[in-house]
Amino acid sequence: MIWLSLAIQNGMRRKVRTLVTMMGVAIAVAALFSLISFQRGYQLGMQGELDRLGAHVLVVPKGCPYDAASIALHGASWPCYLKADYLNKVRQTEGVQTASPILMNAVYSADTGVQSVYLGAEKGLLAVKRGWHINGKFPEAANECLIGSTTASTHHLSIGNTFALPGIEGEYGKVSGILAPTQGADDTFCYMTIENAQRIFHRPNQLTHILVRLTDPNQMDNVVNGLRACEAGMDMNVVPLAHLFHTIQGLVNTTRTLLGCVALVALLIAGAGVSNTVLMAVAERTREIGVMRALGASPGDIFKLIWLETVSTCLAGGFLGVLSSGLASRAVETWLRGQLPFSPTGALVHPELNVALLCLLAAMVLGSVSGLLPAWRASRLSPVEAIRQGAM
Amino acid sequence: MPVQELMTAAKPIVVEANGLTKIYHRGNEEIRALDNVSFVLNECDFTAIVGPSGAGKTTLLQLLGCMDTPSAGEISIGGQSTRGLADSQLTRLRREQVGFVFQNFGLLPTLSVIENITLPTLFSRRKAKARADELLDIVGLKHRRDHRPHELSGGEMQRAAIARALINSPKLLLADEPTGNLDSVNGAAIIDLFHKLNHDGLSVVVVTHNAILAESAHRIITMRDGKIESDTHS
Repeated sequence: MIWLSLAIQNGMRRKVRTLVTMMGVAIAVAALFSLISFQRGYQLGMQGELDRLGAHVLVVPKGCPYDAASIALHGASWPCYLKADYLNKVRQTEGVQTASPILMNAVYSADTGVQSVYLGAEKGLLAVKRGWHINGKFPEAANECLIGSTTASTHHLSIGNTFALPGIEGEYGKVSGILAPTQGADDTFCYMTIENAQRIFHRPNQLTHILVRLTDPNQMDNVVNGLRACEAGMDMNVVPLAHLFHTIQGLVNTTRTLLGCVALVALLIAGAGVSNTVLMAVAERTREIGVMRALGASPGDIFKLIWLETVSTCLAGGFLGVLSSGLASRAVETWLRGQLPFSPTGALVHPELNVALLCLLAAMVLGSVSGLLPAWRASRLSPVEAIRQGAM
Repeated sequence: MPVQELMTAAKPIVVEANGLTKIYHRGNEEIRALDNVSFVLNECDFTAIVGPSGAGKTTLLQLLGCMDTPSAGEISIGGQSTRGLADSQLTRLRREQVGFVFQNFGLLPTLSVIENITLPTLFSRRKAKARADELLDIVGLKHRRDHRPHELSGGEMQRAAIARALINSPKLLLADEPTGNLDSVNGAAIIDLFHKLNHDGLSVVVVTHNAILAESAHRIITMRDGKIESDTHS
């Protein structure tokens, strides 16, 4: 028989009460685990999304830069456009290595109700999208298309196939290349030459955005100032993506701090609940504690027993919380996507083993602290008083 | 010197109490539970402490078991004075020298018979599996080894409690109303068990209202109002 086994058996005497106490800890730990996992997932997702975009700076039409960035990342129809002439002004700005024009449009297929996103681009895009692997080639002829891996799979397309462009009546494309999976929105996009896109969507000499890579990313501020100061600067928004990332992350961090406080309060309430429960258990078992003292248990032994009982309850609650949070992460993610104005394509909630262990450690610390008062009170009971009180 | 006293004097002393006094306070009221009690218990003594309720019997038993400290006077267990000992030292003395048996058995309901019997070894950090099996045999509970207390009869529970009290091989067994919750048949079995243990060399002190148990003891200490009224050897 070992101490822990005795402590667990004691805890299991009042199964419902112990379960309710554990649930309190589980809820608090689940909140903590979800929060940290979300923060990690969001950060990784955002970073991945921006890395996949490949650009240092995004040049978009006037308006909300965050909306524009969201559309550029996820794909949608744009409410306003840039003049194609601005591209030259951007390219002429000092410090700009590559400027790749994009015309993006999203259309709904009446038959399937599915959105298809088309992007017109130049071959120079490959200098921005350095992580791309293309099976085939980038579109050069008017009707050629580069298909994202998911779209290719969904429509059973392979290189050389000619297909009707979903949602665009009377237009056909020929698959010149298939993009290897990127785990991002590019997997669902259909790229074509910019002239072809301008023709199909009736946007001659118009662009939705320009992806810009810098010669030296450390010169970001100078280049951004240069872009804003150029002739077209008043008609476009220059969005440094690193700043965008920090701004969005800052907003998320503010929310996280608020939710973190809620999780902390939940932990404190759970701790008070655990302490109260164990105090009740000690009161109920006063005589038993007296008997154990009579059998040779030292105050330290009694302290250890009650403390272990508290820690094991909290650890079990913590384990339950981590497990339930992990299992519910998909549901939490779906809910979060509905709440957030901007969310990356990848997993929003990113449960990790080290975070799970950290949460279990938090549960253990909670148990350790919560158990101090009841364990101390139990250990201070005089054997004679304990047996006398318990007999009442 | 009478023969009885000569015999008593020849045996080693297990407990020596000198001027034991225990005073409790209830508000401004002073309650003298024990008043200047002195006696000696020798090895292999079987002593019954009797008297009306409130006479100080249980208080005396608790002092003998180092569960409490006297307000005045001194007590020695196995030749070691308890005066000035810290709680940890009293605990060690109790763990090594004394076994306790309670009227309500005091078995832990979540533990099996064998786990209850070995519970004190958890506190003494000893391994005593062989001793536990031996005690199960002595108290006749081998067939109940893995049963929980609620599956036992009152007599079986008390026998398990006695085995538990003996697991650390104490010199002195203290029992507070050990037959108080038992019917006459089970009570008689417990009395027989005490005598068997006493015959094997264990000093036994029982606080009891059971006349049969008291009359079977070698020595009867009768208490009244915190004092020894009579001390008779059979």
